[in-house]
Amino acid sequence: MRVTNMVPDAQYAMQQSQQALSAALQQVSTGLRVNQPSDDPAASANLVVSLAASANVDQYTSNVSSVLPQMQTADSAISSIVTSLNSAITSGTEGANGTESTTNRQSIATQVQGLLSNVIAQANTSFQGVYLFGGSASSAPPFVPASSTYTSTQASVIPPLSATQLTAGTVTTVSDASTGKSYSVTVLPGQNITVGDLVNDINAASPAVLSAGTTAKINATGQLEIDTNSSAAGIAVTSNDPVLGTMNATPGTEVANAYAYVGTGNANTVQVGDSMKVATGVAGDQLLTSGANVISSLNGLITALQSGTAAQISTATTAVSTALNYVSQQRVSLDSTIGQLNSQESYLGQETVTLTTQQTALVGVSLATAATNLSQAELNNSAVLAASAKVLPQTLLDYLK
Amino acid sequence: MGSLSSSLSIAVQSLNAATGGLQVTNNNIANANTPGYSRQVAILQEAAPTNDGNLSVGNGVVLEGFQSVRDELVQTQIQQETQSQSGANAQLASLQQIQPTFTTSTQDIGTQMSALFSSISSLSTTPGSSSARQGVLTAGQNLVTAFNTASNSLTAQQAGLNSQVTQDVSQINQLTKQIAALNPQIAGLKASGQDGGTLQDQQNQLVLSLSALTSVSVIKTDDGDTLTTGNGTPLVVGSKPFTLQTATASDGMTHVLDQNGTDVTATLTGGDLGGTIQMRDQTIPGLLGQLDTLANQFGNAFNSVQKGGYDQNGALGQSFFTLPPAPPATVPPAVDPYPGAAANIGMFISDPASIAASSDSSAGGNGNLANFSAVQTAPLKSGQTPIDAYSSLVYQVGSLASNANAESKATTSSLLQLNDQLNSVSGVSIDQESTNLITYQTAYEAAARVVSTIQSLFTITMSMGTAAAE
Repeated sequence: MRVTNMVPDAQYAMQQSQQALSAALQQVSTGLRVNQPSDDPAASANLVVSLAASANVDQYTSNVSSVLPQMQTADSAISSIVTSLNSAITSGTEGANGTESTTNRQSIATQVQGLLSNVIAQANTSFQGVYLFGGSASSAPPFVPASSTYTSTQASVIPPLSATQLTAGTVTTVSDASTGKSYSVTVLPGQNITVGDLVNDINAASPAVLSAGTTAKINATGQLEIDTNSSAAGIAVTSNDPVLGTMNATPGTEVANAYAYVGTGNANTVQVGDSMKVATGVAGDQLLTSGANVISSLNGLITALQSGTAAQISTATTAVSTALNYVSQQRVSLDSTIGQLNSQESYLGQETVTLTTQQTALVGVSLATAATNLSQAELNNSAVLAASAKVLPQTLLDYLK
Repeated sequence: MGSLSSSLSIAVQSLNAATGGLQVTNNNIANANTPGYSRQVAILQEAAPTNDGNLSVGNGVVLEGFQSVRDELVQTQIQQETQSQSGANAQLASLQQIQPTFTTSTQDIGTQMSALFSSISSLSTTPGSSSARQGVLTAGQNLVTAFNTASNSLTAQQAGLNSQVTQDVSQINQLTKQIAALNPQIAGLKASGQDGGTLQDQQNQLVLSLSALTSVSVIKTDDGDTLTTGNGTPLVVGSKPFTLQTATASDGMTHVLDQNGTDVTATLTGGDLGGTIQMRDQTIPGLLGQLDTLANQFGNAFNSVQKGGYDQNGALGQSFFTLPPAPPATVPPAVDPYPGAAANIGMFISDPASIAASSDSSAGGNGNLANFSAVQTAPLKSGQTPIDAYSSLVYQVGSLASNANAESKATTSSLLQLNDQLNSVSGVSIDQESTNLITYQTAYEAAARVVSTIQSLFTITMSMGTAAAE
């Protein structure tokens, strides 16, 4: 082929080797092989997915760190409850001794009352604003002193409040301290439920769920009133329906040593792995009321100590022992969750390393490779420049005199 | 029989031929670096011999003229390759500006999407915490901003390309006018049996510039080059240029019309104009369509979870994002079924308490947050999970840019080879011209020596006898 001018070829070669040099320099300075999607579209797309997985793992790790102290706090609260129950059993055994005087039994009853208060205080433990034994109702103390009568804030005589429709999405709950159960009415969107219907529903729930004698009605002042009609049975009523307004205990109707559970039966769960969720606490009803009823067993012991026979005190003490066993069982599952969280934490640590390694493999470049590439590109570039410098000035004119 | 005077006339022809050779060499050297210049050669021919009886005597040399050395085939290939190169470069330039939006950073959609899910997961550990709730709102707002930014960067790019169309068309019109003006001049030269020479070089160079703007087919006729676009829209016929026009169509974009006002936008391929139109009308709307679809489907998925839960006050959740209403579906499906979704997605809620974290209306519940988290792994209406949908968008942008880059590089290297090929035929070699210079110089010196020899012979002939007589 007839060659006329080598300048374009030399310029192209210089351009190519300079581009390679610049790419090699960028690799060394950023430590990345892929700096923009076009450098390696498939790796860039995979990086997006891998980074999302990393973000999840980071978040799971952070969730474990947040949940662990919650669980540990819950564990120590249960441990304190166990201690209180043991003390109650000791007190009960002491009280059951036929030689104890009535005065002594009264003072023992007072001690047990203190222990009950401690159990309630522990059950109302919160960690950074999260009530650990409230189930999903984690933003308020789950155990409240029970009263025999509750009334609504809102009232209407004409038209009667009973004709007013409840608001969709709202929940009204009656929690019974004696039965340890609660009765809820949730208004689903599209449902037409009036306050009157609510009254009928609550009345129908007694005595299956609520203590016998519990009735709901619209009272003379037009308020919704729920009453246990007993000085021994206490309830707590909550509602988030603006039609009723806040449900308030009528002053003076508090029932001694009775506490109602206003939390929910489902504990909150937190995701700590792609397919691992843990409950962040124990629902208080499960722990203290629904199984062997801890609160009523203590309440029973107090009553027995105050006015019962030695045999009754002994029976009540046995009930406390049963409750103690039950609480201890609950603690086992909590402890096993704490163990799971600890092992999950180290698994997540490994996972982070795996993902980081994957990301480096996708878009990174090892320093050694980058440095080698750079020196190769440098070498190549100087070769091209040297060759061009040698070849380009060569013309016949140099040799013509 | 030859005579001294006929020898002298042969020598004069030699001088002429050598002068012609020197002239063409001089011109070649002068234009060695002129773009589009084809080297010329002097056409020398033996003069018809004189027959005298049995003797046939040569009558010297005739300078027939000058001829440019061309290779039409390679010239055409260069034009075609230039079209591909400019088209790829136009797309590459635009894609390189789009790429940063889809490159993993602290602000891209993928990162913000992950951040939103992280903030929700974080809220699940302290569902009542207003700072954790605020964190979800902020993450939602950041994702909204990322969607808005990505959409804006695509539409801004589209607007830039749109104004490029007008510029390209006006350049095309200028070039076709110049090409048409050269046609009759070149046809005139050819009719008189001469080479188009310099004018042809100029025209070829103009056609090459035109090729950089759009694809052009060239048909050689007696009236000069007839040019049409790749699809047959006439650009130049004989001395008449056909101007293209631009008009803003109902889609808000500048469309290209031919002489008769027919819209030829979609038929224009190749060159800067073809690449620009391809990006503006196909590539960017395609990307925007996917981005809008992702924004709409992700937004709706989030909204329906939010509406299925209860906020901190126990009320049913409202929407999480605001989304522009989707127009009715069309058959076949529109490129962008949810126009403006990414550009206009916004936060519907602004109160941290409005996040519907609870599934049972209890204030501290977090049951619904698991449903939010599930959006991350559940397929959207498109069949992909949100992060997969985004990652395939990143793949597409990357692969479009990488393909455009590869094509640009490939055409550059093949253009280099084609130009080498053309130069091997038409290019000026300084070394070769230097030797030609010596050749013609020597020829001139020799012819001049012949003249002076004949002159001395004439002198001898004139003084024949006189000196002897004296």
